[in-house]
Amino acid sequence: MNGFSVLLQKEFREAWRSWKFLWIPLVFALLGMTDPLTNYYMMDILSAVGNVPEGFEMLMPELGPADLLQASIGQFQTIGLLVLMASFVGTISKERANGMATLMYVRPISFRAYFMSKFVVMSTVGFISIVAGYSASVYYIAVLYGTFEGATLIASIGTYFVWLLFVFAVTLMMSATFTSVVATAGAFVIIFVGQIMVAFVGVFWTVTPWKLPTYGVQLIRGTMEMSDYWWSLAVTLVITIVCMNIGVLTMKKNVAMTKI
Amino acid sequence: MLEELAKIPWAVIAPLILVQIILMIVALIDLRKIHETNGPKILWVFIILFVNLLGPIAYFIVGRKQS
Repeated sequence: MNGFSVLLQKEFREAWRSWKFLWIPLVFALLGMTDPLTNYYMMDILSAVGNVPEGFEMLMPELGPADLLQASIGQFQTIGLLVLMASFVGTISKERANGMATLMYVRPISFRAYFMSKFVVMSTVGFISIVAGYSASVYYIAVLYGTFEGATLIASIGTYFVWLLFVFAVTLMMSATFTSVVATAGAFVIIFVGQIMVAFVGVFWTVTPWKLPTYGVQLIRGTMEMSDYWWSLAVTLVITIVCMNIGVLTMKKNVAMTKI
Repeated sequence: MLEELAKIPWAVIAPLILVQIILMIVALIDLRKIHETNGPKILWVFIILFVNLLGPIAYFIVGRKQS
């Protein structure tokens, strides 16, 4: 790898100076906390803010630990991914637009190493974030509801991390291929519209990257069809690697787009 | 007074307060160091201090001007 460790250091320093290692995990921790808390105190919240009529009674659903973890993952899937993608989608295209890329591209760097260094930093931030998010959520669920088994919980985190790698590969590929605005739109459409599509027709379409987060929870519930799981995991990894290669190629092709 | 303090479920509240304080301090340190923000700096000081939880996050997402 041509100067991979130097490039990696540069990326890490940049992420560190903009506090990404600190505030993104904290956002995930907050997202993980909200769902167990609001569900547990729902009755108190309703009686404190709503005009609940006299003698009003409501039947609350009995929620188990896995249901609440699923709710927390739902938060990560919308707001969490929005934050992660928004803070990293400009990482290649913005460098081209503000001319910083010129300083990099005149040197004999390998584009693969440059792309990979960005990918590694993104995945590190993502990994710390989901660990923070999961531990906050699991802490509150353990305090308020009940505990999980350790092994399936770790398997669920691993599954979610593979899904995040897919998200990052798509984001970086878009960033390498297009300008910032188009890249943001493209990446968001692929990730979020994909989720909506899978929510509509997901029953018939079991092998897809977008279902991995749900599969992670099903591992905990113990209702997972294992062949679907392994196929989805394999498909996701293959698509991730393909996206990364396309990203490296288009990054090389788009050198001319750099502003000098 | 002490009895009332002991009644608060600290296991539930303490992590939230901790996260809020860390986010606030980090955002304020960053605001002190940064050259320029989107919008007046003093506005961001108030947002970070008085908008709980969301204030510092909003600062990191939209407030920092990346050159």
